[in-house]
Amino acid sequence: MDAVIDNIDVILRGFGATLLVTLLALVLAVVLGTATACFRVSPLKPLSAVGTAYVGMVRNTPLTVIFFMVVFGTPEVGLNASFTAFAVVALGVYTGPFIGEVLRSGIQGLHTGQGEAARSLGMSFGQSLRYVILPQAARDVVAPLGNVCIATLKNSSVAMAFGVFEATAAGYTLANANATAVIQILAAVAVGYLCLTSLAAVAIETVEHRVRIVR
Amino acid sequence: MSTLLYDEPGPVTRARLRSWSVVALLVIGLAVGLVCWRLWGQGQFEEDLWAPFLDEPALRTGLVGGLVGTLQAAAMAMALALVVGFAVAVARLSPSRVVQAAGATFVWFFRGPPLLILILFFFLAFPMAFDIDITPFWALVLGLMLYNGAVLAEVIRAGVLALPRGQEEAAVALGMRRGTTLRYVLLPQAVRNMLPAVISQMVILVKDTSLGFVVSYGELLRYGNTAIQVLDNPIQMYLVVALIFIAINMSLSRVAHALEKNPVASGLRRRRTVAESR
Amino acid sequence: MPTLVELRQVNKYFGEHHVLKDVSLTVDTGQVIVVVGPSGSGKSTLCRTINRLEAIDSGEILVEGTPLPTEGAALARLRSNVGMVFQSFNLFPQYTARENVALAPVKVKGVKPSVARERATDLLNRVGLAEHADKLPARLSGGQQQRVAIARALAMEPKVMLFDEPTSALDPEMINEVLDVMKDLVAQGMTMVVVTHEMGFARSAADRVVFMDDGRIAEACDPEDFFTAPRTERARDFLSRILPH
Ligand SMILES: Nc1ncnc2c1ncn2[C@@H]1O[C@H](COP(=O)(O)OP(=O)(O)OP(=O)(O)O)[C@@H](O)[C@H]1O
Ligand SMILES: [Mg+2]
Repeated sequence: MDAVIDNIDVILRGFGATLLVTLLALVLAVVLGTATACFRVSPLKPLSAVGTAYVGMVRNTPLTVIFFMVVFGTPEVGLNASFTAFAVVALGVYTGPFIGEVLRSGIQGLHTGQGEAARSLGMSFGQSLRYVILPQAARDVVAPLGNVCIATLKNSSVAMAFGVFEATAAGYTLANANATAVIQILAAVAVGYLCLTSLAAVAIETVEHRVRIVR
Repeated sequence: MSTLLYDEPGPVTRARLRSWSVVALLVIGLAVGLVCWRLWGQGQFEEDLWAPFLDEPALRTGLVGGLVGTLQAAAMAMALALVVGFAVAVARLSPSRVVQAAGATFVWFFRGPPLLILILFFFLAFPMAFDIDITPFWALVLGLMLYNGAVLAEVIRAGVLALPRGQEEAAVALGMRRGTTLRYVLLPQAVRNMLPAVISQMVILVKDTSLGFVVSYGELLRYGNTAIQVLDNPIQMYLVVALIFIAINMSLSRVAHALEKNPVASGLRRRRTVAESR
Repeated sequence: MPTLVELRQVNKYFGEHHVLKDVSLTVDTGQVIVVVGPSGSGKSTLCRTINRLEAIDSGEILVEGTPLPTEGAALARLRSNVGMVFQSFNLFPQYTARENVALAPVKVKGVKPSVARERATDLLNRVGLAEHADKLPARLSGGQQQRVAIARALAMEPKVMLFDEPTSALDPEMINEVLDVMKDLVAQGMTMVVVTHEMGFARSAADRVVFMDDGRIAEACDPEDFFTAPRTERARDFLSRILPH
């Protein structure tokens, strides 16, 4: 236990980096995901094909492979950045399609009749989207989006292998340095993650409950 | 046909869609062209970066070896995770509060933290705290087992809970005991219902085996890492590795899809359901 | 009375499937047309072509003498003049009954929100739902939801109302409350095209009964003639199956 208490600042600093990488990656992922969702529901075949290809490829590729591509591939074409920036890009690119699919199924999961009713009243495409479809889809995606956020928090641990000193890296380093307290240290880090994911789950549940509409 | 978002296009819309499609194609082409131009400018299309994949037998043997390592770890982890998941699901469905709580805690605890923490736990804690030697293979597999066991427990439980209540009532009415009900009536149907979800989880598991590189387990990605030290072609290598993963996972997804869609299978399912509920 | 809606030689395919075959039909202002026929005969499709929820492959549809617009703002404007009531209500679940009714007038016609709300209240009153105005659709029964849907369509002050089996999704005890609202509309002279299996309504409210069979209008006549002396074998067959003996 002493090893944990003595090094609590290192662990907390690690979680700070974890949160930073997670949040920045999520920002990038939301941008990419929104674009992907728009592409995939677009009536333009080339765009929906690009969206489908991006989703199909990235979702079937391990996050670690994407990390390697970003961290060792981009310098090959003369692009360099910090480890943290690389981690954010890799995690964001990986998470984008998951967010895109959540958004897309939030829209396409609605009953066709909703769109038909809106159009039958004389609404344009934009109006039916804005007043009828998106308000419903937005409520439906809260829980699945929350799950993607939690998964991203956990996935950010892969960044430990790519020079980012986040929580898992902190645990790994401390464990190696304190052979007698390996279990306590790794357990402390695990509990840290559990706190964050459980907290996020409660927050999502609360929001979801508040915005839910009964049909 | 009209859809949620769009009307059936009229002539003007159709013409407009056609011209915008051309514009989109041009923009996409331009983007791809720019990327290629950049790659080319940086010498990424040079032959010696690509040729080894075709004419270097050692590289191919190595990649195949890595692939075998990936598949071995994935298969072992999946088998163990199914056993664990099944046991935990049964615990969660048990009438005893205590056993239920134990199952729920297991799921919460092993699904919460990152998989990597579990792998590192086996990798570091076993030799350092318990003085048990553990190979990278087992550190990876045991980590995968616990994490995916927790996830699959939920999949299996949901599959059982999704069964129509009537099935259970019918079984109870026939005088079956709880265990018998679970075993002969609920589980066989649940297994068929949750197969697609199980296969999706398998895709995730296959991807997660690549975390093995952290504990130096000899799988596909790690082989790629070693090979680029000699070949110095990270972009090409990771592209090939990614394509192999994509190929494996897409085939798995296709199987799941076929199982979901196959009218013969689902017809069979209905018929068997009737037979089993008797 | 002037012709309000006219279909000329309309043909419609779903892929290979020929669903509307040379359908011609005129609906005069103030007329109530009831469309009946066996399942799959193309009744819904016919109804939905009139506001172009289904596009047609050949033929012509005229509303007030002008061809049905195929897209864009013109189509939206046309639709705001053609009310549609669906079998599955399709109320917007995130809005209260009143908001459902007031939404389109405000957003599409630019009516002032306060005016639209007032009118929505009046309309809900008219369909007997004054005390439910502030409820979400999920809190209403099927019959009440369908009446809100009718009020929502009426709020656009349509020239013609299309009903696609408005009572088919309802429990028997709720059918009459919806039919009563529809009869009210008939009494006020609304032009209506109604797809329904409610033969009582057809008999009492229709100016003309259109019997569809396999994508064709097999018979179009006075309701009394249709029910007492159907001309085609198919119609006799249909009536014998659907009417209580
Ligand atoms: N979107 C569609 N795609 C393909 N076929 C369709 C589609 N909609 C309807 N059909 C087919 O067109 C035919 C006519 O359908 P329609 O819904 O108009 O029949 P209906 O007379 O309204 O029947 P019901 O009384 O069952 O509502 C049917 O054979 C139906 O299967
Ligand atoms: Mg119909």
